[in-house]
Amino acid sequence: MWRLPTVILCITLVMVHIVSLGKISEQVKLLPQGEDTAYVIPTPILRITALEFRGLASDFLFLKALVFLGSTNERKEKPGVKTWEWKWLYHILDASTSLDPYFFDPYYFGNANLTWGGGLIEEANMLLEKGIRHRNWDSILPFYKGFNAFYFLQDNETASESLMEASRRPGASPIYASLAVKLAYKEKRTENAITFQEFILQHTEDSQLRKEYETRLNALRGVLYLEKAVVEYKLRFGRNPQKLEDLITKHIIDNLPPEPYGGNYYIDSHAQIKTTSESQLIPHPHQH
Amino acid sequence: MIALWPLAVITFREGVRNRALYGITLLALLLFIANFLISGMFMQEIGKVAVDIALSAVSLSGLLLVLFVGINLMAKDLDKKTIYMVLSRPISRFQYIVGKFLGMALLIVVTMIFLSMCAMLSIEIIKLAYPNYFQRFSWPMIFLALSFSTLTMLLLSALAFLFASFTSTSFITLVLTVIAYIIGQSLSDVKALVEAPQSVGIQVSSVTVKLVQIAYYLFPNLSLFDIKTQAAHGIFLTTSYVFWVVSYGLAYITLSITCAALIFQRREFP
Repeated sequence: MWRLPTVILCITLVMVHIVSLGKISEQVKLLPQGEDTAYVIPTPILRITALEFRGLASDFLFLKALVFLGSTNERKEKPGVKTWEWKWLYHILDASTSLDPYFFDPYYFGNANLTWGGGLIEEANMLLEKGIRHRNWDSILPFYKGFNAFYFLQDNETASESLMEASRRPGASPIYASLAVKLAYKEKRTENAITFQEFILQHTEDSQLRKEYETRLNALRGVLYLEKAVVEYKLRFGRNPQKLEDLITKHIIDNLPPEPYGGNYYIDSHAQIKTTSESQLIPHPHQH
Repeated sequence: MIALWPLAVITFREGVRNRALYGITLLALLLFIANFLISGMFMQEIGKVAVDIALSAVSLSGLLLVLFVGINLMAKDLDKKTIYMVLSRPISRFQYIVGKFLGMALLIVVTMIFLSMCAMLSIEIIKLAYPNYFQRFSWPMIFLALSFSTLTMLLLSALAFLFASFTSTSFITLVLTVIAYIIGQSLSDVKALVEAPQSVGIQVSSVTVKLVQIAYYLFPNLSLFDIKTQAAHGIFLTTSYVFWVVSYGLAYITLSITCAALIFQRREFP
């Protein structure tokens, strides 16, 4: 005779369990989240508490960063990732690489996202330097550092040094050494940027990143095409064109290349080719 | 030696019959299956993550084996008073401790070989699935890491014997062994931290520094045996490193067992 009440009780309890779990998960999301909760334990302490499972702890910290950045894609507000969140991301990648300084993924992921996304060039470089020190067999990390120096910091000397370092490492691509030499010529900036970007694209497998890089590469190719046309125009007419349409009316080019970000190319007062989606091409390292 | 062998075999059989052993093995097998799911989430170094997880699973299972099966084997005779029966036999107390330890060591080695084979199988399958992501990969280093892991477990088990020789219940032995494990794994880092506390901005008194330095020589430095990171990245160790670590491990084990036997000889049973 106790059977029915017991069954009913069990069903009720299961339902209470499901409902309360759902409710509390909603409530958790409402809790204040901000810089105060984004604390990353200092690495000496992490190393001690991870005992002999440092490699594993490093993997999971990296996974945390990966999942976090993935989840921000769903956010509606712009920019999707706040400044302090980029900082937190850097700290968590730093912690992951302190637990296992040979781990490639955090360096790769940190460099790709902290620079373009977060504008944290200095932090990305600090990560890369740690990786360059420990992964002394790896030629791609000094290459990335060289790219950052060239593209974001516009410091050709450091860029050239890093590329030389990259070219000395085992299995280095011959491109490194030739780029290092080319960087001495500052005027071929767009061409160098394209060579860099093409090489990075070749070594990227993540489809999201590839798409981003391909678009950027197409935009840069458009800029280069127009820059060459402007040089041609100046040779023929002895002055710079007022607007890009002049290039078409004087039959130097047939039409303007499509701007892959959906903006327009234009020529500024210093005869530099720019695009209205400039922020996609030239990030502002000190915006934060 | 002849008197030791039957005791070792009995201890081994007793250990194999322990249900906890199956639970631990099952846990390890589940972790090896989880390895497929987790390592696939990474971008580039899938091989490194797969090796990390496999080796950590073996270490964790070995640790549980020592803590929950090993300590029981030693302490059960004391807890259940079956020790009187053993001591009435024509073997010395010294032989009793050594024989018991040999049986325990046999159990650890056999279990670790089994777990290691499963771990290597799981790595191999992931390697077949993602052959391009295993660039710096070395079976010899993985094998060495697994051997060092086994040595760690033998060392910890010897320490557990030492603790069991003077404590009255198995629970105290368990607590002491866990503490020794934690201290042993973190000792070199703690020593580095208290000797250069400015790196995290804390202040450390000179007494603490001295205490840590004493502990450094007293407790086994288990982190020396932990070469999982090197194994995961295929970074080779020097032959002298391997030689000195193995010598250190064997010396510490022999010392612990000798001390345990000496204490046990003097012990009076109520």
